[in-house]
Amino acid sequence: MNVFINGQQISVGSEPTVLLALQHFLSTEQQKQSFAVALNGDFVGKADYQQTSLNQGDSIDVLFPIQGG
Amino acid sequence: MTMSKPMNTTLNIYGQQVDSRLLIGSALYPSPEIMKQAILASDAKIVTLSLKRQNPAEQAGAKIWQYIQEIVTETKGFLLPNTAGCKTAKEAVTLAKMSREIFKTDWIKLEVIGDDYNLQPDPIELLNATEQLLKDGFKVLPYCTDDLVICQRLYDLGCQVIMPWASPIGTGKGLMNPYNLETIRLRLPQATLILDAGIGRPSDACLAMEMGYDAVLLNSAVALADNPVMMAKAFAQAIVAGEQGYVAGVMQQRQTAHPSTPTLDTPFWHQQG
Repeated sequence: MNVFINGQQISVGSEPTVLLALQHFLSTEQQKQSFAVALNGDFVGKADYQQTSLNQGDSIDVLFPIQGG
Repeated sequence: MTMSKPMNTTLNIYGQQVDSRLLIGSALYPSPEIMKQAILASDAKIVTLSLKRQNPAEQAGAKIWQYIQEIVTETKGFLLPNTAGCKTAKEAVTLAKMSREIFKTDWIKLEVIGDDYNLQPDPIELLNATEQLLKDGFKVLPYCTDDLVICQRLYDLGCQVIMPWASPIGTGKGLMNPYNLETIRLRLPQATLILDAGIGRPSDACLAMEMGYDAVLLNSAVALADNPVMMAKAFAQAIVAGEQGYVAGVMQQRQTAHPSTPTLDTPFWHQQG
């Protein structure tokens, strides 16, 4: 199954979850950092990564802190 | 004076007292180190920041985040995440929820942009997002234009803090419409009003404070100065001067000249006519 993370298409196996997709996409270093996730434009809290399953073509946004005005 | 404010009050953000009336952004500085020095020099206690995508090869964001955490720890300050880049209420609400999880704050600087050319806030989407976020427990600090009715609607929804622009983001044009800004202050005396965006020079910030605004939020004016650290100090002083000028009560303008020096017993004075 293919999903998109931050606009990049990745292959995530047959029964993917948000957690599995993040482990696939993020570097080990990034997985230790502060980040937050949205699935198809809706917020997904950290406590729900493992239970939230993915469908073909889903779009995940993984956002990190950055400077801002 | 039509309004009065007791001396030595602090900035009130939804009941949280903050002992600086300058809010400062963390973007556009020549380096993270200069950013840190400038923010510390500004005496600001509230620092704005944002969330963005980051791909696995990128690490720059992590360094900036580390610097901002150091600043907030050192100043015992507060983070104010924004929703920059959002164009719909749905996007802004999602980004606000993501920010709340990461930054552990229910404060959100709500930006919903309606026009790419001048980055003008979309008032309809802004009101929609504000209503949803307030219901969800957020303390919303909405960035809006200097339109009195939009500010009133935001206040009626429950926003205790409202942030009208001085002029479009990053222009440095200063207070485009002082009449509008003064009217908002006059009509919403109980709201915490923060002038946000478009500030260019310290006198702009001073003028806003002389009008009775509670605080000023800026970024480019310091970050893009030739010497950001010195400019940060200049803004800190301008804001204190403006606030004290407002509290002290500015004299009424007069149509005709009045001599400052007493005329009685003026030497060499001759009666005319």
